[in-house]
Amino acid sequence: MSENAITRRSFLAGSAGVAAVAAGAGFLSFNAWEQADARGTSDIDHYTAHSLCNSCSSKCGFTGYVVDGKLGKMIGDANHPNCEGTLCGRGYGFASIAYNEDRLTDPLKKNGGKFEKITWDQAYSEIAEKVKAIIDEKGPQALAMVQDPRPSGSYYTKRFMTALGSANVYTHGAACNMSKNAGFTQVIGTGDFTSDVANSKMTMFIGRSYADAIKPSQLHAMQKAHENGAELVIVDPRLNNSIAFADEWVPINPGTDLAFILAMAHVVVHNKLYDASYIAENTVGFEEWADYLKDCTPAWAEEITGISKDTIERLATDLATAAPAASIEPSWRGAYGCSYANSGETARAVCCFNTLLGCWNQEGGAFFGNSVKAGDLDKEKFPSVPKPEGKIAGADEYPLSLAGMGVNVYAAELAKKGEIKGMFFYNSNMVAGYSNPKYLEDCLSNLELSVAIDIQMTETCQACDYVLPDTTYLERLEAPEFIGGKIPAVSLRDQVIEKIHPNTKPVDEIFTELAEACGVGEYFQFTVEELADAQLRTVGLTLDGLRVAGTARFPEKTFKFGKTPTWKTPTGKIQFSSDACHAAGYPSVPQWTEPVASVPEGDGYFRLIGGKQAVHTHTQTANVPALMNISKQYNLDRVWINASRAAKLGISEGDEVEISNDEAKGTAKAHVTERINPEALYMPSHYGCSSKDEKTAYGFGLRQMDFVPFRIEPGYGGICSQEAIVSVRKVGA
Amino acid sequence: MARYGMLIDTTKCIGCYTCRLACQRQNGLEPDEAFVRFEDRETGTYPQVGVEHVPLQCMHCEDAPCTKVCPTGAAHIGTDGIVQVDQGRCIGCLYCMAACPYQVRVRNSKTGAVDKCRFCHVSNYENGTEMCTCVTACPTHARIFGDLDDPDCELVKEINRTHAAPIAGDLTKSKVFYVR
Repeated sequence: MSENAITRRSFLAGSAGVAAVAAGAGFLSFNAWEQADARGTSDIDHYTAHSLCNSCSSKCGFTGYVVDGKLGKMIGDANHPNCEGTLCGRGYGFASIAYNEDRLTDPLKKNGGKFEKITWDQAYSEIAEKVKAIIDEKGPQALAMVQDPRPSGSYYTKRFMTALGSANVYTHGAACNMSKNAGFTQVIGTGDFTSDVANSKMTMFIGRSYADAIKPSQLHAMQKAHENGAELVIVDPRLNNSIAFADEWVPINPGTDLAFILAMAHVVVHNKLYDASYIAENTVGFEEWADYLKDCTPAWAEEITGISKDTIERLATDLATAAPAASIEPSWRGAYGCSYANSGETARAVCCFNTLLGCWNQEGGAFFGNSVKAGDLDKEKFPSVPKPEGKIAGADEYPLSLAGMGVNVYAAELAKKGEIKGMFFYNSNMVAGYSNPKYLEDCLSNLELSVAIDIQMTETCQACDYVLPDTTYLERLEAPEFIGGKIPAVSLRDQVIEKIHPNTKPVDEIFTELAEACGVGEYFQFTVEELADAQLRTVGLTLDGLRVAGTARFPEKTFKFGKTPTWKTPTGKIQFSSDACHAAGYPSVPQWTEPVASVPEGDGYFRLIGGKQAVHTHTQTANVPALMNISKQYNLDRVWINASRAAKLGISEGDEVEISNDEAKGTAKAHVTERINPEALYMPSHYGCSSKDEKTAYGFGLRQMDFVPFRIEPGYGGICSQEAIVSVRKVGA
Repeated sequence: MARYGMLIDTTKCIGCYTCRLACQRQNGLEPDEAFVRFEDRETGTYPQVGVEHVPLQCMHCEDAPCTKVCPTGAAHIGTDGIVQVDQGRCIGCLYCMAACPYQVRVRNSKTGAVDKCRFCHVSNYENGTEMCTCVTACPTHARIFGDLDDPDCELVKEINRTHAAPIAGDLTKSKVFYVR
């Protein structure tokens, strides 16, 4: 863009002496130089800019080509670690959201149940007045923020709330990967690891599909492993599309992954297929777990999981044989990110099992990459905000939950109880996606102040009193995105197109101005350009330089396999047993526990499961015509039902079926398929939008969360997104 | 003169619709105007189940039925054997849509004219998108584009190696080959 125009000279000045840039082999191609020149010279009707996709949280880097002010083609950036040059379809389709007819264009205020346009000044002054009144009456901990993290959003929401004195900054995590990350943390002291799929001899995927929830680099790795002859196994109630690159589908009963893993651990321990010296050196609690595992035989697990004891025995042995170039992949939301009352314990069992494989930081196993973070900034310009006195609400009630995410649904419960009085939502459709929508709507209705900041009129916006219109990701520069991995990187979401609706504002401006109105503007005396440049300078880069490169890597920080990490657990060891879990009411070592919801006797009952489709993410993409047209053309809203179960219920392909439980009732078309476990009914997680102002999404399909009762997983704080039983019958039968 | 063709390896296709959506964006198509159509198939019985995704698009037939029924000559075979639609000459009679055995021609809801996969030769001339967008965009590299008359190109080598064949045998002289 003209204001972003840079010349070859300014780029050189910006990047002079930067080893990371100079050494990042090949990422500054001749073409990039030409583009830099084009942007700096006369041809401003044709230009390119680097950005990060916003169609899911992978935030893949791409180059946007702009012609006459409009975004044309997009090319995935080859040097971006998450896309490696190829974007997914969702990314191409989602970009049209900037031009969507349902964009929010002005600040809105609810008046007698209807929204009316107000000025930014009125919005700021009324919100600020209520913020001050709430703080005066109940203190800053009566305020909370919920946000789905994006680079600028994470920075500004947290800084704003901290400046107000509230520790209550929640991510969407409790409705995504909290149980997984929190469970992992109890065993290995960190919330995540990466399976080195590409170099593995064997990898097991539990409730995870690289081909449906696409991060292109992961898909590439899986494909490479498949072509190398690795044994790749999918454990999932549903045969997902990753089967293209996998050898076997293990069609497990929903909610029973824990029993499956325990039985595999039984096989490895009983047959002494583990490295005893590795266990002795690096772990605590092994004897206790081994003792418990004695009864977790494959035959025992067969009854629970529906997977034959021979299969369990074989897969466990194969993994142990392939070790250390083998692992259970960490998974994400699907199986145990936030799904069942046993999800946190399942996550613990996964890490314990991988420990038996001795695969940590081994090539082809599972590793903890390196990361680079922005260093300290100039205190004059970016003064430190004093840490709030309180803890994030829910930290005591859910002692195993991670404070960096927080139990967002607990905050909603506090709103219902009147203990939290004001809530902000940024880039978060909590009401439709985080738990039972009716319940959450009710929680929010009790607030004295509710503010949603978004680009479209989501269900959460509808439930709030104030709605502030954000720009889309294509219309703004954001703070840099630091990405960990084998070679850490930093990447930039630069402004690609001019603001389309003049009265929208980018997130950085909204929170800066809100802070000003609330009397804490002293912490926001900088622009996002200054913030981005200052952060980048702490790692030897500049904003101008990264605007040209899009992504820079830090080859000097390249991760090396082979070294056992330092375990950041209380014991400094890998913990088969955890005192914190014991204190939170769980057994100290992972043991079998059933999902809370049990399937009643009778023909028509199913466990309701969700899951991603490749063209959608949560509820945020359903209002994009290019994506929704696919859903409509290919009937992607159908619920999947096992063919033999369907036959018993007299249901044929395409039949209208009624799905009901105590929470909700609705009808959908049935997809009768062999690709699903007989106990499960799959309902895609993207549909059933109930906001009439999202005209493309509204009224298409059912919403999984409507059928899920409000429930929080003890200790860990996950939302139990699959603790739901539904009954299914053919309409008219 | 080149004779352009394509290979689609369905064993690498995950049914993610990226080819369709990338094509729409790079070629500036309407959201309901899709040049790639998908057929899904499942085989076997639970739990031994196979899945196949087959993306279909204009096969650029050497004996293209669409060109034979077009009353205005809008549908024609152009240079390099690419089946094209002259948008200005199309009167929207939809004969070509009825004649296409692969059902991959679509009507532009704004102009009323019919269009379909162009092997990106238009965008290739206009703003530098490579021929073909679906090939470069596919995250699993399931597609190869090239000149069927060039025995040294990757396309011809892969067709020979994999014994790829047109989706419907000799129904038409298709220049899109499938590995299944």
